Amino acid sequence: MLKVRWLALFALALAALTVASCGGDDSGGGSGETIKIGASLPLTGEFSEPGKAARQGYKVWEAQVNEQGGLIDGRKVQMVIKDDQSNQNTIVSDYNALISRDKVDLLLGTFSSLLNLPASTVAERNRMLYVEPAGGAPELFDRDYKYLFFAQQATADKQGEVWANWLTTDVPENERPKTAAYPTLDDPFAQPTSEGIEKILSAAGVKTVYRKTYTIDNPNLDAIANSVKASGADLVVNGATFEDGVGMVRALRKAGYTPDWFYQTTAPSLGDQYAKAIGEKTTEGVFYAVSHSKDAKTPGNPEFVKKYQEMFGGTEVPEDAADAYATAEVLQAAVKAVGSIDRDKQLELADWLRDNKVDTILGPLSWDEQGRPEGKFLVGQWQNGIPEIVLPDEAATTDKIIPGWKPQ
Amino acid sequence: MTARSGVLRSPWTAVIAAGFLFLLLFPVASDDTYYQNMIMLSMVFAIGAVGLNVITGYAGYVSLGQGAFLGLGAYTAGILSNDVGSNPFVWMPVAGLVGVVVAGFLGVVAMRARGTAFVILTIALLFLVQIIATNWDSLTNGTSGISLPLPSWSVDYQNWPFYYTFMALLGASLLMSWWIRRSKFGMGLIAIREDEDKAATVGVNTPIYKIFGFVASAVFVSMAGAVYGYYIGFTDPSGMFNILLSVQIILSLLLGGRATLWGPVLGAFIVEPLNEISNNEFGGGNARLLIFGGLLALVVLLMPRGIVPTGERWLRALRTRGKAGLVGERLDGRIELQERAPAPAPSEAAAEAGPLLEVKGLEKRFGGLRAVDGSTFAVPEGSITALIGPNGSGKTTVFNLIDGTMTANAGEVWFAGRRIDRLRPWRRAHLGLGRTFQITRLFRQMTVLENVVAPLRSFRLRQLAAGAVSGHEAERAQELLDFVGMRKYRDQPAFELSFGQQKLVELAQLLMLDPKLIMLDEPAGGINPTLLERIGETIRELNSQGKTFLIVEHNMPFVLGLCHPVLVLARGQTIARGTPDEIQEDPKVLDAYLGEDFRLEQPVEA
Amino acid sequence: MTEFIQTLILGLLIGGVYALLASGLTLIFGVMRVINIAHGALLILGAFLTYSLWTATGLDPLAAILITSPAMLAFGWVLYVATVGRIRSAPVGASVLLTFGLALVFEGVMGLIWGNTSHSVRPEYFNTSFNIGQVFLPKGQVYGGALAVVVLGGLYAILNYTWLGRAIRASAVNPQGAELVGVNVGAVAALTFAIGVASAGAGGSIVSVLYPFLPGSHYQWIARLLGIIVLGGMGSLPGAALGALALGVAETMTVTYISPAWATAVPYVFVIVVLLLRPQGLMGSKLREDVATA
Repeated sequence: MLKVRWLALFALALAALTVASCGGDDSGGGSGETIKIGASLPLTGEFSEPGKAARQGYKVWEAQVNEQGGLIDGRKVQMVIKDDQSNQNTIVSDYNALISRDKVDLLLGTFSSLLNLPASTVAERNRMLYVEPAGGAPELFDRDYKYLFFAQQATADKQGEVWANWLTTDVPENERPKTAAYPTLDDPFAQPTSEGIEKILSAAGVKTVYRKTYTIDNPNLDAIANSVKASGADLVVNGATFEDGVGMVRALRKAGYTPDWFYQTTAPSLGDQYAKAIGEKTTEGVFYAVSHSKDAKTPGNPEFVKKYQEMFGGTEVPEDAADAYATAEVLQAAVKAVGSIDRDKQLELADWLRDNKVDTILGPLSWDEQGRPEGKFLVGQWQNGIPEIVLPDEAATTDKIIPGWKPQ
Repeated sequence: MTARSGVLRSPWTAVIAAGFLFLLLFPVASDDTYYQNMIMLSMVFAIGAVGLNVITGYAGYVSLGQGAFLGLGAYTAGILSNDVGSNPFVWMPVAGLVGVVVAGFLGVVAMRARGTAFVILTIALLFLVQIIATNWDSLTNGTSGISLPLPSWSVDYQNWPFYYTFMALLGASLLMSWWIRRSKFGMGLIAIREDEDKAATVGVNTPIYKIFGFVASAVFVSMAGAVYGYYIGFTDPSGMFNILLSVQIILSLLLGGRATLWGPVLGAFIVEPLNEISNNEFGGGNARLLIFGGLLALVVLLMPRGIVPTGERWLRALRTRGKAGLVGERLDGRIELQERAPAPAPSEAAAEAGPLLEVKGLEKRFGGLRAVDGSTFAVPEGSITALIGPNGSGKTTVFNLIDGTMTANAGEVWFAGRRIDRLRPWRRAHLGLGRTFQITRLFRQMTVLENVVAPLRSFRLRQLAAGAVSGHEAERAQELLDFVGMRKYRDQPAFELSFGQQKLVELAQLLMLDPKLIMLDEPAGGINPTLLERIGETIRELNSQGKTFLIVEHNMPFVLGLCHPVLVLARGQTIARGTPDEIQEDPKVLDAYLGEDFRLEQPVEA
Repeated sequence: MTEFIQTLILGLLIGGVYALLASGLTLIFGVMRVINIAHGALLILGAFLTYSLWTATGLDPLAAILITSPAMLAFGWVLYVATVGRIRSAPVGASVLLTFGLALVFEGVMGLIWGNTSHSVRPEYFNTSFNIGQVFLPKGQVYGGALAVVVLGGLYAILNYTWLGRAIRASAVNPQGAELVGVNVGAVAALTFAIGVASAGAGGSIVSVLYPFLPGSHYQWIARLLGIIVLGGMGSLPGAALGALALGVAETMTVTYISPAWATAVPYVFVIVVLLLRPQGLMGSKLREDVATA
């Protein structure tokens, strides 16, 4: 009786193992005609807004590529998109699942440096090309990864470079701010951006009189505004995302403090939402940097904007959708050039990107040895309730630059 | 899972062995990284839950901070392998050490807070650790987190090193949990859970036990954290110190069954796949919150004991349906009082011997009420001294002051020539002081034998490691159970015993301490005359072996026939002392307690 | 110096709002010895309801209190009967785990309904301040604080001058005794819980204007509330008020003089230090389960 019981259970265990081993099929694509491209995006959770926009960008690209006859060899493309809920552990399982269960042929990246950090590790371990639309924190590129590429013009620490250089060289010395305050959100994107700007400005003699970091769940912006006011800074550089950026502006107004110059990350690039949130009259003169402008004359841009508006409506095109589209363009360029999507050719795709330039709707992109892009961001400024591009000249939508923040 | 059932014969062993074999061979049989990932994460949760079981299941201290140890391990491995170099596996023991240190600190904290306060503290500490990890960015790189090195082995081996390391750690955790459960140390932990103050009075050094418990709960989890960080490849404050991780671990423990060996493993292997399913099918972080929050609430409301204990209970009920419990059985025939020569009555000499216990000017106030108001008396060595008095005269309070359950506002207590009123209860127990309670306080969920094994005679590590169900300590316990006549009940859970049976077991408990002074609080209360006679016999027998007794009682015939001297307490003060005859004549005593008409009708048996 | 005074004033203003939020929590603990970890989530729920009312009808958020409070009162009653009321006699930690589970459920539900991005209610007049000399008092904080004091005063009046209040206090101090004199302790407990939840809802309406919030914000809020009632003494309304002011000032001082990043740690430090050194806080009854009395 005892023996039978043990024997039965061992047999069960062996049977289960056999089933398991059958389930594991060989690697490599080959699901027939369609090419599967996998990505996990934060469709819910704290990054859901940009995550959903990124998804839209990928979808626009998918539709266009299929309309034009497919990616290579006439094969159409199918995006497999998972939701990582803005959570690192989930994104690791998601990319593992995409690679080993869904058996995707190619990968695309996710939104936010926090999520791209672990996801790119999965890709690197599995030796698959990983181009991502929105992870510009310098840490990503200090790891000597061979398969990682960032599809914006530059990493986060360089986001404010164009503007900071303009401020310190093109603006006459007596009109320049003498002191600067840097209240910054603790975020792998906002921090390096703010620090990058500070480096350039302080080298040019603009003294830092306040630099403190706040976290997303500490909404004590009134006290911060009070400290900034007490510092009397001429320029305030606020590394922020949306809600805290809006909150900072309101806090400064409540404190009755208007610095001569105001530069902010992310929030001002969100168009109508921003204007409604702080009041259109308050936006006048706010500077920011952005990677995409819907009026830019870069190759493919008008078609992209048209297709986006066709599929999703509205007049504005979120920056994150454009970045995602550009990412897919980069992948497409590499695949077309190398002519293959095989798993053992992924390194060739990566090598090709390192040696070449790709024209995207963001402009031409090229990379260094670690995957860092080597371009320049666009600088925007709110004028008359409209977010205009003011620098560089090639992309500018207006000649005028308002010398400072002039809220009414 | 008792040790008594033949391990090989139990059906569960076969199931577990089959499961183990399956897990062992799975990565070889299948290269599906999705399922490998699920199994590995389940093992991580299991390691966390098995560790948590030591402090939450056995010792009853609910901690919502267990996830922090995973994070600590991951950060230790990440920081060291990036700054100092080498493979995170090498740093695994260091991660364990860091966990041990932090856990020791947590144990110290547990000395000052219990119950709900303790849970709140663990929550606060977890969040604080997260904030520190975020802000101390020179060490931890703040919100950006730390990337761990890529695996150094060939791709052909995939996840095997991770997988098998987790298996080894899980195995080690289970071994540790099993060993603790069977040791005197484990009995002490469970005693702390059941009744911490009572545990202190039977010699369990509660602070040290708790620290050991916390250390045991953390060591393997921290090591697993190091490997976990290596596997994920990335560690950051919001991922590693996420409260949801701790919730999932404690849910695994609650769902599977606290204080069981395999419950936490079962729970983990349910919770983690549920995690994956809620990610993939219900696609949403919000769905996950709903599922886990809801599950936690439901488990607390509907199945607080967890799957394994509930299942065991059903099976037991099924198996014993229609049979009477042992406890309710009629005792066979008449009680056999052990035939022995009637012990001599305590002699005059004993009553006048030097004091074993001396109480001087004891005072205890509760707000404005003076429960003990300058009480002074002495208990001669070798005597059976009685402490009588009306209700509310402070007798039990005096006991509490002597054994350390309460601290006096003023006065001194001397025992065997040492002043003990500043000592913790277990120190007094180690010096030879034992005490029973008016309403018996046994460790309800433990068996009778386990109850008797739990007391600690003196604090020595080897004693802690001694086996609880076999070996020297267990044998001694069985002897004592024989002595009080409760041998048949050794495997009954204590809460099933009748009141009189509990009293006998409580006596056996304190005899385990080999005490010099035995304090009995109303031993005659609520038991039948036959049992009372047996208790009287037992007291005389022990007294003849040299033990001193101090007895609080209302049953006058019992007291006056047994004890000498007799002390009388009224309104918090000692008002009389003398032989039973003297006390019965003393007008102060008659006035305060016995009443004018009190005279014993029969002469008292000497 | 101005900076210091300004910081102090900001701290006191926000402390007033904190006091209202904490009052419900301490009341619930006082009567049924339950720590309602879901209190933070309930206040965020109040904020979301206010937000929806404002976006749909433009209703002023402070006026919305008249709607959210009764709604939350009813919800609190149902919640008590369905869950918390059932575990009155459960062992250690059960109420914490249960209410924690509920908090997560609420977080998930709110996320499903409203999404996980930050929200804020922004009536125009909340962008300005009263000015007294060099010091500015943001209007939002002033109105909110004033309203909080009013509601708190009302709560205090109910507790001390009505029969219901006496019944609540009796149930808190001695449930068996209260039963004996004819108080339906079960119903009183349910009502107290409901009142506590209603006050959280009212507080949430005020918070919706002052701070951006999202479902995940409840952690920071419950942390603050726990810090407050632990410091002030669990079960004591005046203690909650004191603790709230103390926390408000401590937070803003930390933001200004140390760093905003450490301000989030302040509530936790309060909890840890107080529970370890003086568990009954400034004015309350002991939470720490200590030596059993004979």
